[in-house]
Amino acid sequence: MEYFIHLGVLVSIYAILAMSLNLVVGYAGLLSITQAAFYGIGAYASAILITSYGMNFFLSILIGMAIAALAAFIIGYVLSKFDGDYFALGSFGFNIIIFSIFLNWQGLTRGPLGIPGIDRPSILGFTFSDNISFLILSVLFAGAIYFISQFIVNSSFGRVLKAIREDEKAIQIFGYKTHWYKLIIFMIGAMIASIAGSLFASYITFIDPSSFNLNESIFILSIIILGGLANNKGAVWGAVFLILLPEALRFVGFPTDVAAQMRQIVYGLILVFLMLYRPQGLMGEYKL
Amino acid sequence: MNILPQLIINSIIAGSIYSLVALGFNLIYGTTKFFNLAHGVLAAIGGYAVFYLTKSLDLPLIPSVIIGMLVAGLIGYLIDKSVFRVLRKRKASGMVFLVASLGIMTALQAVIAIIFSSQFQTLSTGSFKVYEIGGGVITQVQVIILGLSILIMFSLVILLKFTRFGKAVRAISDDEEVSKIVGIDTNKIIGRIFFIGSAIAGLSGILVGFDTGIEPGMGLSLLLKGVIASIIGGIGNVYGGVLGAFLLGFIENFGIWKISGEWKDAIAFGVLLIFLLFRPQGIIKK
Repeated sequence: MEYFIHLGVLVSIYAILAMSLNLVVGYAGLLSITQAAFYGIGAYASAILITSYGMNFFLSILIGMAIAALAAFIIGYVLSKFDGDYFALGSFGFNIIIFSIFLNWQGLTRGPLGIPGIDRPSILGFTFSDNISFLILSVLFAGAIYFISQFIVNSSFGRVLKAIREDEKAIQIFGYKTHWYKLIIFMIGAMIASIAGSLFASYITFIDPSSFNLNESIFILSIIILGGLANNKGAVWGAVFLILLPEALRFVGFPTDVAAQMRQIVYGLILVFLMLYRPQGLMGEYKL
Repeated sequence: MNILPQLIINSIIAGSIYSLVALGFNLIYGTTKFFNLAHGVLAAIGGYAVFYLTKSLDLPLIPSVIIGMLVAGLIGYLIDKSVFRVLRKRKASGMVFLVASLGIMTALQAVIAIIFSSQFQTLSTGSFKVYEIGGGVITQVQVIILGLSILIMFSLVILLKFTRFGKAVRAISDDEEVSKIVGIDTNKIIGRIFFIGSAIAGLSGILVGFDTGIEPGMGLSLLLKGVIASIIGGIGNVYGGVLGAFLLGFIENFGIWKISGEWKDAIAFGVLLIFLLFRPQGIIKK
């Protein structure tokens, strides 16, 4: 049972990440390969604030979001002038840089040693110390983010994003400053990803840089491409499927390090086969 | 050991390796117009092929290097034939190509890690000479790196400028559709370009393996440098890529004069951002 609760928490966290990336890739059509960087920023912000300053978890989420938004603003300001390949590549590089900061700024992040002993969240005297209560908390977060995402994409702002995705030049002629729209959705995506990071840090109670490398970004991208771009339900189902699938591999009985690599092979092949045979994913409303 | 000459030597060596990666990358970008993220993993494949041939099969050095390049080239060719050619036929968008190449990179990198483990290994057998030039130190391996990259650059320029094949490549770069109409077998030419570009990437991986060492993720950082070099030099332009590579090598190595070496990647990325902001078309505009 404990094992299924654990999977449930992971699914919620990845569903949040998938929805955050779906806003950028699915709705705005910007191929961003850097979601793990913002995920990591949230995780490190919460981990450091909780362990070194004894800050409340929920407050640390807000600060993590602010830092993620700032980072997204800086990189997004440059990249939002571009689309397609250059955006993908710039974001790809950004992930590598943020990862190298996690790894090398040892005074702040303790580098490869990681940060242990992160407290579970507590509010008004109640601590989410057992996994079942944490599951409820993370499902609540995922649910709230689902509704926020739906609200964003159905608003007039969301309609402009879809128009940018379909034909940026045309919507520019109508007087929309498209790069601000792209920048804002990129920052919103970053803030949501950082919430997932805070949840992850306080759930596992230990983080190190390896959870936030480029492979993680590729994994999140596979979730939304498999589930279907521009569909929030698809993002959630993609997370369910891709978290549970490798768990099935676990029972085949590979040694742990081989199993981790097998997962990478599976994700990589999923991307290749989807691109070859079904580029819109399972429930997608937008083709890359 | 003097710091300034040493920095210059290091910059030139880094520049030569980046220029090899950028050359192959630009060659492929020029004809297919997409960012092939699987390009870096071919460098790792080259490195590991030589590792296997020299350490497990005890083959001599030079044949191993040649076979290593051929293996990388062949795998690049097969990737094009099995994935990219199908996508080209369907006229898929650039993003589809990019995501597919991302998937190939992820999968192949994991395959390498399963076969050879994720540990850092070196190809070098340890008995290389060290020379001194103007107060700086350069190893025999580094001299070979420099020589080989100059050789490859010139052969590529001659190949592209003066042969029938090169003409066809340039025609495809200008317009693939029209090239098809005038009777150029574009798939065959692009397949060969993938072979050549991937073999050059393989060579860069092999050289890095002798200079420092190999690990399954090595392709990623090489790819990033090659791509940055291509963009700051002018994407799709073979000369621009080389120019960008040496510029990047110098900026990176002089950048870490005062700060620690781990920040090389961050410096390289900073250079990319500055170029994207102020001169996105690169030094040599195509």
